[in-house]
Amino acid sequence: MIGFDIVGFMISWLTLFGIYAILSLTLNLESGTAGITNFGKVVFYGVGAYISATLTTYLVLMLNGVNVGEKPPYSVDGIILLGELGNKNPLLNIGLLVLSLVLAFIIAGVLGYLLTYPILRVGPAFVGFTLLSSGELLRIFLQHYEPVGASKGLMAIPTPFGWVAESRVREVAYLCLVLGLLALTYVVTYKLVNSPLGRTLRALRDDEIAALCLGKHVPRIKATVLFIGSGFAGMAGVLLAYYLTSVNPNMFVPAVTFNVWAMIILGGFGNLKGSLVGAAIVTFVDRALTFITPQLGITVISPDYLRWVIVGLLIVVVLIVNPKGLFPEKPIKTPAIDVVLEELRGGSK
Amino acid sequence: MSVILEVRDVAKYFGGVKALDGVSLTVPERGLIGLIGPNGSGKTTLFNVITGFYVPDRGSVLFRESNDLVRIDGLNPNEVFKKGIVRTFQIPRLFNSLTVLENLLVTPLGQKGENPVRALFRNSWSKQERELASKAIELLKTFNMLHYVNSKISELSAAHIKMLETIRGLMTPAKLYLLDEPAAGVDYAMARELFTYVRKLRDEHNLTFFIIEHRLEILMEYVDYVYVLHNGKLLSEGKPQEVISDPKVIEAYIGV
Repeated sequence: MIGFDIVGFMISWLTLFGIYAILSLTLNLESGTAGITNFGKVVFYGVGAYISATLTTYLVLMLNGVNVGEKPPYSVDGIILLGELGNKNPLLNIGLLVLSLVLAFIIAGVLGYLLTYPILRVGPAFVGFTLLSSGELLRIFLQHYEPVGASKGLMAIPTPFGWVAESRVREVAYLCLVLGLLALTYVVTYKLVNSPLGRTLRALRDDEIAALCLGKHVPRIKATVLFIGSGFAGMAGVLLAYYLTSVNPNMFVPAVTFNVWAMIILGGFGNLKGSLVGAAIVTFVDRALTFITPQLGITVISPDYLRWVIVGLLIVVVLIVNPKGLFPEKPIKTPAIDVVLEELRGGSK
Repeated sequence: MSVILEVRDVAKYFGGVKALDGVSLTVPERGLIGLIGPNGSGKTTLFNVITGFYVPDRGSVLFRESNDLVRIDGLNPNEVFKKGIVRTFQIPRLFNSLTVLENLLVTPLGQKGENPVRALFRNSWSKQERELASKAIELLKTFNMLHYVNSKISELSAAHIKMLETIRGLMTPAKLYLLDEPAAGVDYAMARELFTYVRKLRDEHNLTFFIIEHRLEILMEYVDYVYVLHNGKLLSEGKPQEVISDPKVIEAYIGV
């Protein structure tokens, strides 16, 4: 029996956690704080993943003088060439990572804005369904679009740290990158939530009509939030593509979106720390099942189905015990609180 | 006295129902004007037309901007607010997950920290935030609500909710307040207190109030002019005593 590789498990769990936590934090900003029913998180995640996969595979081949017209990256020749050429030039690999992140943020963000701006005037259910079906449309499109490999997708994507020989070092380096971007996402979402913008977002969520009567441009504010959230989701997609070194349309099913929803429901609507904990729990269950089941020799139950049962049960239990999730929403922290405290202490000048 | 709001021959139909059928009226600056009428007479519809929720099928709405009256019908509610019109609702609409203080702070337009880029840099908005907080505290003091500063809306009484919905407009430079049934669901003493505050606001802040109210015994004590709507048409208008003794008004209310 193979020994349990605890370090390997931790690295793989934390990497997956980092990627999903970026999604859960931004979904919590969009849906928890601003009240936008984003059932299409996977769209922007998928767009980001495909941008980095397409950009990296095509550019690596082209910059190495391969005619991508004859040997496209999705062909057998292309995949072999990617394996040979992919990890030769560290600078190129890291440059492609940066380019992918920037482009994914912008394109996914703009897509988020454009997809939602026209529909935000109608009810939340319509926003949810439009985004949900956009995700399915994108998936079906990708399944039939040859230049990105159609249903096979793209494989052998050269990774940012592919040139590092030692695999454990490579994994840890990648983990640091993921956690670095997660930290950035956390700081940005935290600052947005604890600002006058965050307060306005909660107001929109509570009562859109009242917000409108107070002069707030509700659709524009919501679309802006979706720009930010979708941009970060695009970056998470880039991280996923490099982590798995392949993308295919079936990775981006609606279940991905609902997995992220499960995280924010578990952790608590409107609470960012809760989103981190929710992401940690759900990805832990996923990784643990994937690691443990083969070693126990269980083949009857697929870990994939068991995962849904466990996450579902967790949600039910948490919501019975605490309907607002593990960590309920906290008041917004702005300097206004200090002013009130000074006043109540009798410190009026 | 100059006119701050003018409604010219406004009509609004819902299918065959004539909710408003050619209503014309004016609200003078610094007025405390009542709008009464039986249920379904079109009072709230008129407010919805003025505040941009409905586009009138005919007629126009004009609002004073410096020295001119400009058309505001057809604008969106958020644009109407920017012109300087605040409204309250029959069933108050406050932000229930926010505290009393936050409900006031959320009101002012063009806050620096509402810009998503600036929101990331606390230094760029914290000064303004502190100023707004001081202003909000002063308001709460004036209206004897300071002890509720950190309360959730669900902890307030009906009267305080109505009061808060009105005074949050004071966080902005708005000039005209449309109040939809401020005394509904409030006991007699509190309702009178509310109207006393309204009168004080009018006197001290040079504001104009246009008020829908069913509780005539309270309204008539405070307003200086009243319009009566009935079946979407203006039935009567005048000083409170004149209106209340108008046989047409009595008939409409009692429904003989």
